[in-house]
Amino acid sequence: MALRRTRRRAPEPLAPIIYRWDLDKTYLKSEFDSLRGLIRVPFEKPQDKVAVPGVAPLIRSLREVAVDAQRPVRIYFMSASPPQIAKAIKQKLAMDGIEYDGIVFKNQLQHLMRGKFRNLREHVGFKLTELLKSRQHMPAESREVLFGDDWESDPIIYSLYADMLAGGIATDNLDGILGPIGVDRRLVALAKELAAAVVPADVVQRIFINIERRTPPKDFRAFGPRLVPSFNYFQTAACLFEEGHLTLPAVAAVAESLIGGSGYSPARLANSLADVVRRGHLRPASAMTLRGYLQTRKLLPEHAPDGVRPSLWERLKRRLQPQVSTAPASPEAINYETLIAHWRAAR
Amino acid sequence: MPTIAVDAMGGDFAPEEIVNGVAQASLSTEIQCILVGDESQIQALLNDVAYNPEHIRIHHTRDFIGMAADPKTSVRQKRHASILVAARLVADGQADAVVTAGNTGAAVLACAQHFKTIRGVRKAALASVYPRQTEYPGQDQLALLLDVGATIRCDATELVQFALMGSAYARGVSKVPSPRVALLNMGTEETKGGDALVHAYRRLKTISGINFVGNIEGNDLAKGKADVIVCEGLLGNVVLKLLEGLADVVVDLAGTAARENWRWKLGLMMLASGFGRLRDLTDYAAYGGAPVLGFEHLLIKSHGRSTARAILNAIKVAAKAVRDGVTREISTAIDQL
Repeated sequence: MALRRTRRRAPEPLAPIIYRWDLDKTYLKSEFDSLRGLIRVPFEKPQDKVAVPGVAPLIRSLREVAVDAQRPVRIYFMSASPPQIAKAIKQKLAMDGIEYDGIVFKNQLQHLMRGKFRNLREHVGFKLTELLKSRQHMPAESREVLFGDDWESDPIIYSLYADMLAGGIATDNLDGILGPIGVDRRLVALAKELAAAVVPADVVQRIFINIERRTPPKDFRAFGPRLVPSFNYFQTAACLFEEGHLTLPAVAAVAESLIGGSGYSPARLANSLADVVRRGHLRPASAMTLRGYLQTRKLLPEHAPDGVRPSLWERLKRRLQPQVSTAPASPEAINYETLIAHWRAAR
Repeated sequence: MPTIAVDAMGGDFAPEEIVNGVAQASLSTEIQCILVGDESQIQALLNDVAYNPEHIRIHHTRDFIGMAADPKTSVRQKRHASILVAARLVADGQADAVVTAGNTGAAVLACAQHFKTIRGVRKAALASVYPRQTEYPGQDQLALLLDVGATIRCDATELVQFALMGSAYARGVSKVPSPRVALLNMGTEETKGGDALVHAYRRLKTISGINFVGNIEGNDLAKGKADVIVCEGLLGNVVLKLLEGLADVVVDLAGTAARENWRWKLGLMMLASGFGRLRDLTDYAAYGGAPVLGFEHLLIKSHGRSTARAILNAIKVAAKAVRDGVTREISTAIDQL
């Protein structure tokens, strides 16, 4: 009888992971709401710039966890702000201990010189082409997680980018999608050219949108379950934990920074965790794991909020009766023409 | 910051308006709210509006007591009705006060079932607020009338206790340092109204911590002579319903007149801004609700037709009363009797 030798196979290396971050309203609490704030932004010193609560420890943890798992990781930032403020931004990121692999700004001066005034406010073309350009230099097997906000068009830009990489949008259709938004024709042509060079692969794992403008969650349903609208970075961290991007201590680090540095209470975090479960973006089992760990670290209230426990009959009835669905819509192809019209009408 | 348990399923426009009101409170205040009701219905409604989840907890229960249901039977049969669960959350220390726009009888019974009565208080009172003229600067636009239905008949001691409770509440919530307290009677003289009212008058006159201004008659209710008007539940309820009925009649008459005569219509149109201001002053949504007094915890009862704005204001009133320690104030006042 021949001896069968069992050869232990080396574990397959993890695919590189790329985290792409928008800057204003996603990383920084930029004051674009008023003319005064808009004028002040270019003159702000790095120490005057304020990060959105919890974002810095979250990004630091994303890199640390990937490095510990020996997974290649890259972090990129993208901003529609002009490069003139790059120095202050870079200093701010250094102050926050953020290591990154690239940062891109929008050359507003170029548009001014060319008399393309509409391009000053139109960011879809700029961001989409920059994302596609950057993708060309990434390993084909690399996966991406994208972070933006609800202030302008990040949900549309990121979803378009994800579907273009996945081959879900024919390049010929781009005119019909980008044209009505007012994207410069040259940028549309560039986007088509870059998209044609893409080897189709479903590489965007998740899109996180920071609900900075308090947009109602239903406005994001049409983007499908890939897009997660989150009210704070604790919710984002919880979802990233479920998908293996963060460890329990890393989520705790985000929670600690929110409680220690931003006036959050354990009760507020507990409410946030329950909310993201109810909206269908986090499985109850993951929430339970997180709750157990964070309670031992005193970052969530010691007792579960269900102090008045429903009767057995009530719990049984609850299981049997049909529930109103609050989860995001099923992953269907996004109708961008309709979606863009609705999204922009709501802005 | 206080935590307010809100009965999501109580009210003519529940749960939509209740959930919207809590969503508004979550954005504009730091008050923590516990929405008590059907979790999936509540979350589906929250998904449609702007809200801050950090300030909202949902406590699931599917049962509720309808506006037209018999309170006694319903409270006995539906142990997990939203109003009862909300009161239980307060009794357990998970919340500080309750807000409900639901069945009034059930709300009072929920308090009686789950809250302890303040030591020395013989009967709880249901209060209501209504708009009236003001007589001095800083006087609240709204007067507090109690009891409007928690009791039927009362003796002198109970009326005195109502006066003390109403005065403490008005001091805390209206910020009137020394609210004028009066007994509702059939004449202003001390000897009018029968034994209970006469004895109550004489005792109130001797209590130093209260600004007792004597008896007032029905025709003075709409004037600013008193900030707190005390009466037994049967009378208070009749007065309250009469005021509401009159308001409906006035609106109805104006509408009829406008339809029948173009000159009247023109006149009403010219007075539109004045009517608008009057409506703002008398809008129940602006004051949110009125308390059930006499228990160690507070319940704010909003109008059955409460909109989101009314619920938002009721939550603010409840939080304010909790912050100002209104029940503690009442307890101190009763102790001094």
